Amino acid sequence: MSADRENHEMTQSDIAFLLADAADEVEIGIAPVQQVMRAGRRRRARRWAVAAVTAAVVAGSTGAALAFAGLPGGHGDRQGYVAKPPSPPRARHVYDPQRTELARGTYRGKEWHVVVQVWGAPRDEAEADRQFDAMAALGLEPADAHKPADLIGKVSFFATRGWGDARPEQVMFNTVRDFENFAGTDLEAAATRLGTGGESSGRLVIGMVARTARQVTCHWKDGTVTVAEPADGLSVHDTGSAIRPVAGFLKANWFVCRAPAGTSYAAAEVTK
Amino acid sequence: MGDRKQARDGEFQSFMIGRWPRLMRTAFLLTGEQHAAEDLVQSTLEKAFVAWRRVGSADDPEAYVRRVMINLHARRHRRRLKEFLAPRDDSGLVREIADTGDRIAQADDRRALLTALAQLPARQREAVVLRYWEDLTETQAAEAMGCSVGTVKSNAAKGITKLRAIPGLAETVTQGGRK
Repeated sequence: MSADRENHEMTQSDIAFLLADAADEVEIGIAPVQQVMRAGRRRRARRWAVAAVTAAVVAGSTGAALAFAGLPGGHGDRQGYVAKPPSPPRARHVYDPQRTELARGTYRGKEWHVVVQVWGAPRDEAEADRQFDAMAALGLEPADAHKPADLIGKVSFFATRGWGDARPEQVMFNTVRDFENFAGTDLEAAATRLGTGGESSGRLVIGMVARTARQVTCHWKDGTVTVAEPADGLSVHDTGSAIRPVAGFLKANWFVCRAPAGTSYAAAEVTK
Repeated sequence: MGDRKQARDGEFQSFMIGRWPRLMRTAFLLTGEQHAAEDLVQSTLEKAFVAWRRVGSADDPEAYVRRVMINLHARRHRRRLKEFLAPRDDSGLVREIADTGDRIAQADDRRALLTALAQLPARQREAVVLRYWEDLTETQAAEAMGCSVGTVKSNAAKGITKLRAIPGLAETVTQGGRK
């Protein structure tokens, strides 16, 4: 019994030792105090802006409701309130998402590409079942959806990175009632790799910015930068870095930055 | 008023500089990846900065920051930024462990442990990191994870059992650690 306990304790202290050893692998770097404080101020300002907009909308809708109730008989404009016939699931992209290619290029002789797909919200269990199956057939796993019913009333997006013949992998994705609105210099990004294997880790940055953003600057660890700017369509002159609108994604644009060989992601910011 | 704000900013700055290394290490163990760790710590501290008036005057700002970090980690895990979570390479999950004392073997131990951690469900990983790296009590870990002490216990136990099942590490652990 005491031997067991001793062994147990030793195991736990050894796990602690190994964790401490593994934690040493991280590069600590300098605490980016100013960057965090700036982002915190933006976050605070944005929170206030959202609160203000919500208040305005609530005030507006109350006014409209009062005005409508005040119409004589309440029938005058009835035509404007007639419900539209429900649109079929196909028109809402429930089973077949809207796809937008953001960037492509070549890495170690094979093509890589980044695509964002946006799936419409299923309205009932039958639609959710079919959507769940359609996603599974493409190897996609929606966030927080363990069963088809979890998808009802929610839109899903997936940013995928493909390389060569391998099945594309989902990098950023979410399933939500409504997309988050991006404004000003808001930015959300993920650093990933161009192909499989660790050598290209952190060389591809995919993210979302406000639709008003005209320039995203990606900073790499070797001190160099890459600039992504709005681009129309894809061409052979593409550098692999661009800002593009995504079909079905109305509250943000997407961007991609590709790092030169030998370096990797440090930071990204909206610069215009 | 402006002076008070400046003082608060100064306080936050000292807090952040002082805690940054530790938070980075914790985040690295949670995420298994350098960029994801930086991102997690920065997002955590941004939130702490926004609420600093309340957090800074609280008894234990570190507990608040820990809680925010675990929440963010859990939320990101739910969103499954998969490549952040699994720094695996193409050569397989666990590599062969070389001789004791060898620096390559030590690096392999680290990599094997990080890979194994990344394979644990988020709650088990959080429980293991908080209990055995942050050295929190079960009650403190439960507070950080927003769950019961029993849940921490069972998640930590399951996590440890899985880590011990890695061949190289099990050997290391039963020998009392490798340096």
